[in-house]
Amino acid sequence: MKKIEPKILKGTRDFMPLDMAKRNLVMNKIRRIFEKFGYDQIETPIICPAETILGKYGDEGNRLTYNFDDAGGRRIALPFDLTVPFARYYASNWQNLPKPFKRYQIQRVWRAEKPQKGRLREFYQCDIDTIGTSNLIADTETVKVIIEVLKELNFDFKVKVNSRRLINEILAGFGVPEEKFISVITAIDKLEKIGEEGVLKELSEIQNSKKILQTLKPKETNKKTLESLSKYNLSEIKEFLSNCKALGIEDKYIEFDPCLARGLDYYTGMVFEGVSKNSDFGTLCGGGRYDNLCGMFCDEKFSGVGVAFGFERIILLLEKMGEFKNVRLNSKALITIFENKDDSLRIYSQLTASGINCEVYPEPDTIGKQLKFADKKGIPFVIIRGSDEIENNQVTIKFMESGKQKTIPFNQLSTYLTNYYENQGRDTEERAVDAAKPQDPIVTCWRYS
Amino acid sequence: MTQPSLKILSSLVGDIAEAILVRNSDIPVYVDSGVADFGIVGENVLFEQDCRLPVVAKLGFGKCSLVIAAPKKIQNLSEERIATSYPNTLKKYLKKNRINASIIKINGSVEICPGLGLCDAICDITQTGRTLKENRLKVIEKIMDSEAVLISSPNLSQDKKMKFERLLTQLK
Repeated sequence: MKKIEPKILKGTRDFMPLDMAKRNLVMNKIRRIFEKFGYDQIETPIICPAETILGKYGDEGNRLTYNFDDAGGRRIALPFDLTVPFARYYASNWQNLPKPFKRYQIQRVWRAEKPQKGRLREFYQCDIDTIGTSNLIADTETVKVIIEVLKELNFDFKVKVNSRRLINEILAGFGVPEEKFISVITAIDKLEKIGEEGVLKELSEIQNSKKILQTLKPKETNKKTLESLSKYNLSEIKEFLSNCKALGIEDKYIEFDPCLARGLDYYTGMVFEGVSKNSDFGTLCGGGRYDNLCGMFCDEKFSGVGVAFGFERIILLLEKMGEFKNVRLNSKALITIFENKDDSLRIYSQLTASGINCEVYPEPDTIGKQLKFADKKGIPFVIIRGSDEIENNQVTIKFMESGKQKTIPFNQLSTYLTNYYENQGRDTEERAVDAAKPQDPIVTCWRYS
Repeated sequence: MTQPSLKILSSLVGDIAEAILVRNSDIPVYVDSGVADFGIVGENVLFEQDCRLPVVAKLGFGKCSLVIAAPKKIQNLSEERIATSYPNTLKKYLKKNRINASIIKINGSVEICPGLGLCDAICDITQTGRTLKENRLKVIEKIMDSEAVLISSPNLSQDKKMKFERLLTQLK
């Protein structure tokens, strides 16, 4: 019989157990922080009526949205991001939900892009949103969550913040016509990438472009930036910064950057972006305030604020930072098995009952084979009980990494393993050394158009 | 501390404050929660509890060291069983020195554990080193020096802060 080639689609991945251990570690850290701030998880369907997804992201987005007819002739689309499915979800469920409503969502999304390094067709996003309040407390809380997540993941980072209202006011003040706002902001947003001259070149048709750029460029400190813009209405930024202080956010994490624009079309108030201080790493998350996200699905207007974390990029960067060096598979101990198999099974039962992740070698075999198995799976402890140990009521633990062996009283085995303190994680110093190494550019950003 | 020390303490603080005597490891809880406005406690206890309460003064008594000690045959702590009443401090030490070991939490008489076969080394406080010697234990490393310190509760009222200053002069 002709065999089917065991292939997968381009831009999708098989995750090995170790990959999953790393991903779960990060996902659980992110999830714990979301939950700490009162966000509850929701999920939305993977297959959706095409009209609820298509037409929300511009022509390019339409082209990149997976859509097809199912067997019943219905047009189906796969989610392109988590924001639109959430808007649809809230529009159909808001009457039964508390207001404001805080949710987090960690799910796969799909984009029919040309696969390349760091650009996949199937990947995860982690979003939080607070919808149903326009109070700046929600914006500040969102930034607090960003800071807590990035701190927890050991990034050296800052959060850039700005107000869309403020940019609009400044541009209007310089006589920029409203229909040009988008192109001006898009150009200014590239300041760090293409430099001042590049931006000015793109703004060649705009009057006062040099002055505009000078006005928007952040100064050395937030205070100086605020002072330089004192003739504009800064109440939103000032209230936000004052909230930050009350929420215990350290100044060093916040950079007021009047150039920051982010996904210009639907953001209407505060915008923010978590960026790594390592310039090669770039953006880790981004979000902001939107006034009418559900407008495409219902008549009611709901103001909300949220942020999306680029999960796949975060994983790639953490790998580069060496954060996964200590990640292992689930088994902490392998119980060897020889002639006296009942003894091994008793130890197995005892250790699992004590809450220790472990496994027993599935059949009596040579010690060499059993150790090789432990090595291949990266299991740190191998439990050996030969006739000597049984006679003296002892047990020998072999430490796979050091090769050392230790014999202890049998009764102490569970306690020993439970209370074994293993050095996890690395020093900031080591991380800095790794981070300084040249990195491949990674592109996963998507701009709403 | 025994009852006479409460007497001494009460006479020291006089009518400025009321003294209460509690288990040393509970002192940070009383002070942090504001039930007591300040407390006298060993630095080793603060370190063990990761207590961030402000230390107002070092008091110069109750001096001791937190050490790791073991019978002569133990040269290297890696993979060994270490008994202690200070598991968090020991963890920090192991982390800093990149040692993997098993920690056995014991509430008292830690020094007798190696001789009884419960552990291979101990992490405990010592003043003169006599107890260690009696149990044939040799200090492998000193983790920290400690003495009694005065800690204060956060968010004290102005009035209490002033009383506190007076008390501080008296204690010194």
